[in-house]
Amino acid sequence: MSGSGFTSPFGANSNPFGSARLDTGGNGMQRVAEEDENDTITSPTTPNFGQGTGNVFRGPFGSDSSETQQHSNPRGPPVAEGYPAQYNFGRRTSVSAESLKPVGDSLDNWTPPVHSKTPDQLARLKKAISGNFLFSHLDDEQAAQVLGALQEKPIPTKGIKVIIQGDAGDFFYVVEKGSFDIHVNSSGTLQPGPDGMGPKVSTIEAGGSFGELALMYNAPRAATVISAEPQCTLWALDRVTFRRILMESTFARRRMYEGFLEEVPLLSSLTPYERSKIADALESQKFPAGYTIIREGDPGHSFYLLESGEAAAYRSGSDDDNTPVKHYKKGDFFGELALLNDAPRAASVISKSEVKVARLGKSAFQRLLGPVEGIMRRTKYVGVKTGVEDMDPLQAH
Amino acid sequence: MAATVAQTQAIPPGLHPLQAAALRAANGGQQQPQHQSQQPPNRNFDDEPFDVTSRKLTVGDFVRVRTLGTGTFARVCLVRPSHGTEADRSKVYALKILRKTEVIKLKQIDHVRHERQILYDVKDHPFITQYVASFSDHDFLYILLDYVPGGELFTYLRKYRRFNEDMARFYAAEIVLILEHLHEQQGGIAYRDMKPENLLLDGEGHIKLVDFGFAKRLGNNESGHPVETYTLCGTPEYLAPEVIHNKGHTTAVDWWALGILIYEFLTGYPPFWHQNPIEIYKQIVEKPIIFPQDPHISDAAKDIIRQFCTIDRSRRLGNIQGGAAQVKRHPFFAGVDWDAIYHKRHRGPIIPPIRYPGDAQCFDIYPEEDASKDEYTEDLVEKYDEYFKDF
Ligand SMILES: Nc1ncnc2c1ncn2[C@@H]1O[C@H](COP(=O)(O)OP(=O)(O)OP(=O)(O)O)[C@@H](O)[C@H]1O
Repeated sequence: MSGSGFTSPFGANSNPFGSARLDTGGNGMQRVAEEDENDTITSPTTPNFGQGTGNVFRGPFGSDSSETQQHSNPRGPPVAEGYPAQYNFGRRTSVSAESLKPVGDSLDNWTPPVHSKTPDQLARLKKAISGNFLFSHLDDEQAAQVLGALQEKPIPTKGIKVIIQGDAGDFFYVVEKGSFDIHVNSSGTLQPGPDGMGPKVSTIEAGGSFGELALMYNAPRAATVISAEPQCTLWALDRVTFRRILMESTFARRRMYEGFLEEVPLLSSLTPYERSKIADALESQKFPAGYTIIREGDPGHSFYLLESGEAAAYRSGSDDDNTPVKHYKKGDFFGELALLNDAPRAASVISKSEVKVARLGKSAFQRLLGPVEGIMRRTKYVGVKTGVEDMDPLQAH
Repeated sequence: MAATVAQTQAIPPGLHPLQAAALRAANGGQQQPQHQSQQPPNRNFDDEPFDVTSRKLTVGDFVRVRTLGTGTFARVCLVRPSHGTEADRSKVYALKILRKTEVIKLKQIDHVRHERQILYDVKDHPFITQYVASFSDHDFLYILLDYVPGGELFTYLRKYRRFNEDMARFYAAEIVLILEHLHEQQGGIAYRDMKPENLLLDGEGHIKLVDFGFAKRLGNNESGHPVETYTLCGTPEYLAPEVIHNKGHTTAVDWWALGILIYEFLTGYPPFWHQNPIEIYKQIVEKPIIFPQDPHISDAAKDIIRQFCTIDRSRRLGNIQGGAAQVKRHPFFAGVDWDAIYHKRHRGPIIPPIRYPGDAQCFDIYPEEDASKDEYTEDLVEKYDEYFKDF
């Protein structure tokens, strides 16, 4: 995106200096070079700094043009030692995607589109996107929804331009079948004429993908991609669908966490803002059935919320070691006294089915909100020692 | 009265007399710094006082001197009142002009509304550009701001190549006070576009933050609203990992960006950089920050940069317990008198060379010509104009 399309209400071309800067948002190297060429005359882009009043430091633009002339390159392109090669020193423009509001916020309903795929296709797709940093951090549900939302796009003939350099980009593509050539025209956009695509820079085969920047925001395409053979097939995913899938699931999970946290007596005095911060720090973990999530006698470092599945607490020395002292289902929590102290766990908690838990480490809690004791002291827990004891069967007596 | 007639004639876009007036005013300003003595021609000025805050403004109340900067969909112009007493007319302002069709096309309606509202809410902070007024006409939205004459810190940084630690500390300290105000005193405003391009210098070398185009009021202690937001926005080199991954982000993104900014101050370039933005994003989410051998960067500076640029938000300085107060206690800021910073007791390390109040020599020159115009049709008016009614 650039500001070139802007038309001001003051009307056209009233640049008071009668000289347009060629390059406003782009290549700063070029800009600096231009200034150097212009040094002998007074360039409007290099105002005569240094003649101002009371400079503490020497003017950043050098003191005067004659001096600048003597040292031929005193403020030339800073490509010298220590600078990253080809670093662009120009002004950087902002980027922005369309604003998205989670539907959880409103009354609309949104479900991601599902385009059915064979298990083979799914497996190939999974492989194709697995190495991509935009997908690698997705959880299972998100990944499944994203895979489902990819839509098949047959490209029947050779020579079809799937994306055009310089055009707006809204889709990301995975190549299912066939191959595609990538061309880059150095002008930044597709030009008319036979060579308008510019030279070919590479080829993408089945399993490859292109156009991922479009999943972040609408930026002009950096290349033209054209089918290199007949009968190609692509999978396409648009930005809004992709971002929505991520947003809706994250939003829903955070609200769920906040809801759970609200039920924890130890944390009842947290403000919504603080609960939200804690929700940020919760880590989701999955365990198979029969897994010992916390072990009696171990020092406690974490607190758990049960997101799905069931679990039970067992205590040695109870009447029957195999009879649980407590059952946990979705929304229940255990081990929260670990937030208070390092006392050994008073019971073991074992998953009864596959479970998903959200784990909060004591240290993360303290980093974000300080010691729990401080939080508790805010309200009703002041001095009510037994209240604390009652809260966690794992710490009893 | 005569002035009103002149004004209404001057409003239509592209009308020649206004343009000519602007040109002459600007040229006059160039050759003759004592601009108070010259009057934009072709006008019958009455001496009736003109107070920009006293009534709804129109673009005809101003003449353009020159463009100060352009952004994605806005142009910011140095302007002067076109009428009023001599004193009124000698004042200068920065007028941010947004074309409604562009705002709609780029899906920035929400952002523009937040910008106006938040600028209004944060008025009077020492390090934030002062909002004066807003207005609109058929095609444009306008935000009138105090003119900040020193130009972008970006320009100075590129010219100096890098700042020494004292300079970086000075600017960083002022920014800490801005973030403290936005995040904590204003109840959860995320700024979301921290970078040297958006930091201007005033006449004494202090920072003024501009461009609240992405600022958003999130929930806070009192409101029961969610405190995170999901729209990806910012500047590639400065985006926080949680923004790239669409995890829902909070005011913590500004602390990340401050880390990037201090790095760029001290080295002259940001820690994550590539010609291809996708590669920048990959680095941000996957790579640790690496410091160059040269220039030497102190351990305290390295530490504060690493603590701000921490992917885990439960460890990110500024976001963790203590918030901005904790930031202020970091060894990098050892010896900083925060009260003195807030009250601007010392001048900044760079004093912009400003010759007279409306001097714009610290700004780059931008082409004034304008490209294609999409018409703001009646359909669009019907559909969207209500969203702009606050202007
Ligand atoms: N009050 C002011 N005084 C002087 N110059 C200003 C002022 N406000 C803005 N500018 C100049 O205009 C430039 C563009 O303004 P701004 O960043 O608000 O526009 P934008 O279109 O929102 O930009 P972006 O695309 O970077 O978000 C600024 O970087 C600055 O150089």
